[in-house]
Amino acid sequence: MEDVQVVAMLVRRCIAGDSAAWEEIVQTYNRRIYNICYRFAGSGDDAEDLTQEVFIKMYRTLPSYDHTKGAFVTWVTTITRNLLVDHFRKGKQGRMTDSMDTASSDHEDAMPLSQQIPDQSAPPDAHVRSREVSETVHAALAKLSPELREAVILRDLQDLDYREIATVLKVPEGTVKSRINRGRAELARLLQRTYRQVM
Amino acid sequence: MPDHTSNGMQCNEFDLVLADAIDGVLTGTELGRFQAHARSCKACGPLFAEAEAGRNWLKGLTEVEPPASLVNSILASTTGVDTQRLRATARPQPRVSWLERWQASFLEPIWAAVRQPRFAMSFGMAFFALSVGLTVAGVKPADISQISLRPAAIRHTYYSTRAQIVRRVDNVRFVYQLQALARQVRRNVTPAEPAQPKPKDNKNDTTQQPEQKQERNYSQIDDHLILASAPLGTSVFDPSNPDLSVVSVTTDRRFV
Repeated sequence: MEDVQVVAMLVRRCIAGDSAAWEEIVQTYNRRIYNICYRFAGSGDDAEDLTQEVFIKMYRTLPSYDHTKGAFVTWVTTITRNLLVDHFRKGKQGRMTDSMDTASSDHEDAMPLSQQIPDQSAPPDAHVRSREVSETVHAALAKLSPELREAVILRDLQDLDYREIATVLKVPEGTVKSRINRGRAELARLLQRTYRQVM
Repeated sequence: MPDHTSNGMQCNEFDLVLADAIDGVLTGTELGRFQAHARSCKACGPLFAEAEAGRNWLKGLTEVEPPASLVNSILASTTGVDTQRLRATARPQPRVSWLERWQASFLEPIWAAVRQPRFAMSFGMAFFALSVGLTVAGVKPADISQISLRPAAIRHTYYSTRAQIVRRVDNVRFVYQLQALARQVRRNVTPAEPAQPKPKDNKNDTTQQPEQKQERNYSQIDDHLILASAPLGTSVFDPSNPDLSVVSVTTDRRFV
């Protein structure tokens, strides 16, 4: 996934005060962190704020990174996950997991989830339909409990392996697999229920 | 979750290998046991189907594009130093020459006013009037193109024009002198006439002044001719001689 030595050198340069190295780190990882935050928080604005907070925290704690203990991406993801957990503990969970009939994303049109379900009888455009399906899945993902959601996000959207996820979540691999299974199944049930209501 | 020991696999073991089975890394005997348990267990079978469906839904999600300003915001909130450089790199300002600046600040407002239909119509009328005037005056574009702007040529044009004006004034003066001389000769050959009684001046009545002045100007010679044909010693306007028929005298210049 990453060249450990190259990243270690980049981090060392950054700690030494090389602003170009820090800029390179930001350019490399901002997309990944933004996507984790967006899928977890469900909102584009929240994701942007959270991504900034993650990088601020990274910038301050960069000297604590030890490349012998794990990959840089795992370290970055751990920081992101911890900050997202803190974010939830501060009480934003209620706002992010409203009922299924509320819009949950800034990237979507402000309409209830039941209206975002694509009309399968007459799809106007494949691209539009694909986008609508994505938005529906994204809205359903926001309904999962935080433990299940973070597990499936890290596995199915960020492609981390079980060991890395276990490191990030600080739980055994068996627990990770169990959460992933339950998260996937819960998501499928939510989507089935949603489509059944529409049909 | 109830444990089932059929086919040699329990439900907790099924839960552990479920993720591997969905990932496709389960092979051989393990895969056979897994599939057998999924078919026989009423709890694990639907779980496998739902988990697989959920994974397929999630795999359909694509990455979202972060906002374009995100990197700048992050750098501003962390270092704050490179932000200006990044923004300058992201949005390079095109160099504007002084000619373009002058054109934007001076010419474009004028051009915007010129493009108005009312101004265009006025300009067209002015151009038409100017071209007609020049045509009537005999000025041709070819003449204008032949004008030389060299100092020597301008000096030459000035002196030649001045000489033409002086000659014209001299000619006009000579004509006036001839006219005055002819007038004097005619006055000398004409016999003297008695002074006409001056009509009573009515200073308050100023309405007749222009006509009187006009008469005096135009018919100074005409009066002499008409009065010379009248009988001597009598006045045409004498009220003491009523028998004398009154002759109305007109000073029509056509008869002179």
